[in-house]
Order: sequence, then structure tokens, then C-alpha cells
Amino acid sequence: MDPTFLRLIGLRLLAIPLSLLVVATFAFALVALIPGDPAVQILGQFATPEELDRLRAELGLDRTAAERYVIFIGHLLEGDLGTSFQSRRPVLEEIGRHLPATVELVVLATFGAVAIGLVMGGIGAWYRGRWPDRVASGGITLFQSIPDFLLALLLIFALFFVLRLVPPPVGRLGFGASAPPAVTGMLLVDSLLAGQYATFRRVAAASLLPVLALSVVYSAYIAKISRTTISAALNSDQALYARACGLSEWKVFGYALKQARTPILTYGAILFGSLIGGAAIIETIFAWRGVGEWALKSMLTLDVPAIQGFVIVAGAITLVLYLVLDILVLLLDPRIRLQ
Amino acid sequence: MRLARGALQAPLVLLACLTVLVLATAQWTLPLPYNPIMPGAGPPLRPPSAAHWFGTDRFGFDLFSRTLAAGSRDIPLAISGTLVSALAGVPLGLLAVTRGRAGELLMRGLDAFQAFPLVVLAVAVVALTGNRLENVVLAIAIINVPRFMRLVRAQGLSIREARFIEAAQTYGASWLRILLRHVLPNVYGVVIAQCSLTAAHSIVVIAALSFLGIGISPPAASWGSMIQAGAQNMATGQWWVVLFPGLAVLVTVASLNAIAEAFDRRLAQ
Repeated sequence: MDPTFLRLIGLRLLAIPLSLLVVATFAFALVALIPGDPAVQILGQFATPEELDRLRAELGLDRTAAERYVIFIGHLLEGDLGTSFQSRRPVLEEIGRHLPATVELVVLATFGAVAIGLVMGGIGAWYRGRWPDRVASGGITLFQSIPDFLLALLLIFALFFVLRLVPPPVGRLGFGASAPPAVTGMLLVDSLLAGQYATFRRVAAASLLPVLALSVVYSAYIAKISRTTISAALNSDQALYARACGLSEWKVFGYALKQARTPILTYGAILFGSLIGGAAIIETIFAWRGVGEWALKSMLTLDVPAIQGFVIVAGAITLVLYLVLDILVLLLDPRIRLQ
Repeated sequence: MRLARGALQAPLVLLACLTVLVLATAQWTLPLPYNPIMPGAGPPLRPPSAAHWFGTDRFGFDLFSRTLAAGSRDIPLAISGTLVSALAGVPLGLLAVTRGRAGELLMRGLDAFQAFPLVVLAVAVVALTGNRLENVVLAIAIINVPRFMRLVRAQGLSIREARFIEAAQTYGASWLRILLRHVLPNVYGVVIAQCSLTAAHSIVVIAALSFLGIGISPPAASWGSMIQAGAQNMATGQWWVVLFPGLAVLVTVASLNAIAEAFDRRLAQ
């Protein structure tokens, strides 16, 4: 390991606690957005004075903002994200229960988006200016313009109602089926570990539509950057030299593909991070019971500790993700290390 | 202005502008066959017919009238959100050009913010501030101000090194004058292109919000709430409830994207 590399990573590691503090402060400040008396807003107009007083005490509204902030950060350092108003359970436990399902969805969707994007971008670059390129570009424009939830509903009509290829969108297991024993919390993995192949097939079939909807919509950007990078690489001097050496056009294309890996990796990581909450509507449509759906429900019911907990956990995941991304990019692309 | 005329010359772009304009004003300019907020305009859940061109939903709303009326709500809302974002983001971005290190630090902070799921952020803002239209505009602005700032700053930084800025400095122009007279005119083009992109994205965000029942009070129509109202019907085969408002979103977003791309192409020339 060369020292510049280690120094860069060290700097990034040092920045993480600071960034987390910013995220936590942002989460804390969210409550300040609620106009008027938050207790009245949360409980509604028909709450009794005792209920209001109890909630005010729970929110700490009887203290000054500075005191509340110190207490909030203190609890956070102990790993305590508070208790959800709705379920009366620790927020951390709730997130732990909902996160694995979302991770499954997001991992599959990210890989799907990269696969579809690479194929479309590759076609565009290979046939640049000819009709397959124009068809691919038209597809990219369409994917870019369609909201993911609209595509999901259209897919439900086409693949469930008309073709009956997938199970109805009533949850991952369907009615009456029991979940495999929880090991990782991810149904696809757990059902395989338990050897319940019928359950695995059911869960996989139920995953098809949400994964497809997210992959297609978010492949648009990957398709665009891979078309640009690959076609630039195909027209570069290296490619000319490779052809002059007698390499087949397929080999040349393989080398060109390599140039697209850094931008694709970068966008893939950004996509992964933003889908942790960003897939919320898709999760709601398919009754996925993921963390996005849970966060959305918390927001609509003004479940303050849950909202804050989600912001902090999503922020922490994003920060770790970007650190891993930076390390990978540094390892893959020596040019950046030399700067 | 020459830029605008050039971009408009392409017939496809003209068509895109017209589409957006018609959809944005249909409620006031076109004679709607039925009252868009009156349930029971026809029998419930009927497919498209001569009487109801887009069919009816389960409350008997006439979907054609409702789709057009929804556009007159969603598009102006998206455009106001975009204008607020630009009006706040452009000056802030220009300021970040003059303040070197502070600007750098600010942009770093905004980068982290950009990674947060934006639709969820918009939901949080509107849910916490109250279910009102101006809060939807606020949510759109919070999402998009950083984008305008980053764009204007990047553009401004590249112009800052130009000869004519140096010339202006030699005859003693103040930094405010340099920003307004020399930098600002050079970022107009990218700002207009970005406005069109932001409006397209805002249409999607507003649709997502009203899909979740946020920022909309029934029976007022919005494309997102119409899609939501038909979501259950997709599994039972009544495709028209979702399809027509969905197509309206698609056409509007594609038109706005096409306008942005036309501007970008002109700028690249």
C-alpha cells in the first residue's frame, strides 16, 4: 500500500464522525419544522391535556432547545434512537426489522439497473448513429420520463392481470404462507438456508415486478453515461492502436467497456444509497414491508423519533457507502491517486 | 433571446412547448365535458367510450375532464417550485463563486445532502410543515436549490478565469458589477436548461407526493392522486384509470426533458 493511498483513506475516515454529527443535527432540527405546538399537531385536536403534557415531556419540549440537543446527541452516542410513538418499540429495533427486506430489493434493483443500462449504452455506442442507437436512445428517454410507481402499476396490469406470469401484489409471501426461520431477515436468503425451495420460488416471483420497475427506471442514467464513455473509448487512439495490432472488434469493445467501470460504479453506489429510502412508494405498492415504507408511514403519522432515526440511519449508510466507493475508485483508477 | 429563438425552431421542441402550455391551462381554456371534481358524472369504472373519452373511475369521476384539470394544478405548481428554486439558487451560486474556500466547504455539505432520498425528504418536509400547497413548493425548492447553486457555481468558476473578467477588474469594476454584468449573462443558458429539467423532475415529485395523499385535498384532481385511485384496479383489469393520468405525466415530463435537451444542444454549439 502506498502512503498517499492510506493518507486519503485516513482523511475520509476522520471525516465520518463529523458528517454523522451534521446528519444528526439535521435530524434534530426536523422537529423545528412543525408549525405551532408539535404536541397538538401530532396527537390531533381531540387529545386530552394530560396526553399533551405527557408527549411534551417525551419530546422534551419543556426544556430549552440547547438542553434538548445535548440530550439527543447523548442518547445517540449510547446507540439509543428513542421509542416510536406508533409501535411503542425502540426505533433501532424497528429499523433492524425492516431494513433487510429493503436491502434485498435495492441490491437486486441496482444490479438490474446496471445490467440494463450497460446493454442499452453498449448498443448505443456500438451502433452509434445508426438505427439501433436511435431505438436505444428512445428507450432511455422513455425510461427517464416515467415515474417508477407508474411503471410498476403498468407492469402489474401486463404481467399479473393479462399474462398471469407473477403472483398478485399482496406481499412477498402471499396469504397464509409462513416466513422461513429468520437468520438474516432477508426472505430470499433465509428460505434458501432453510431449504424451503417452494417459498424461495414464491418470494423470487413476487420480487420480479418491483425489481424490474426500479431497474428499468434507474437504468436510464447508467445507459447514458456508458454510451458516452464507451463510444469515446471506441474512438480513442488506444482503440485505433488495438485495431492496428489486429485485435478483433469484440476485444476492442471489451477494453472500451473497462473505461465505463468507474462512472458506473459511482452512479451505482449513489443509486444504492438513494434507493434505501427512495424505493418507498414501490415498497408500499407491493406490500414489501421495507424500511422505506416504514419511514413513509412514520412521516405521515408525524412519528418524530422514527423519522429522526430513519434520517440518521440512512445518512450513516450513505456515508459508509461513499467511503467504500472512494476506496474502490482509488483502487481501480490509479490516475486519481497520482493527483 | 437569440438562444431561445434558435431552440424553438426545432418543430419537435415547439410541439413540446405547446403540449405543456395546453396541459397547464386546459382547465381555463378548454371546455371540459364534465365537472372534474364532481363524482357520479357517469356510472363507476366504465372503460373509455364516446360519452367518457378516458372512461370513469370507481367514484364515477369523468377521467378526461379530471386529467386535464389535474394538469392545470400540477404544472403551475411544478413551475412555481422551479422558479423559487432558481430565484434562490442562482444568487447563492453566484455568491459561492466569489467566496473561494467557504464556497468549497458549502458545496461539500450540499453533496452529502444530495445523497439523501429526495422524494422521502419532500414527504418529510410537507408532512411536518403541514399539508398545504405552498409547502409543496417549499419542498421542491429545498430539493432543487442545491442543484442550481452547484450548476451556477461550476459555470461561474470557469468564467472567472476569462480575459474579459480580468479586463473588468483592471478598470476597477466592483465584484457585484462583475457578477451581474459579466458572469450572470454567461450562465443564463444553462440556468434555463436546468429550469426545464427541474420542472420535469418536479412533476414526478408532485405526482409521487399526491400519490401518497400529500399536498392534495380531495376531491381536487392531481395526476398522482388519480394514479393512486386506480392503483388497485390495475390488478383487476381496469387499466384506464391509471393509464390516462399516467400518460399525461409521461408526456409532460418527456416534453420538458426535450426542451431542456434542445437548449443544451444549442449551448454546446
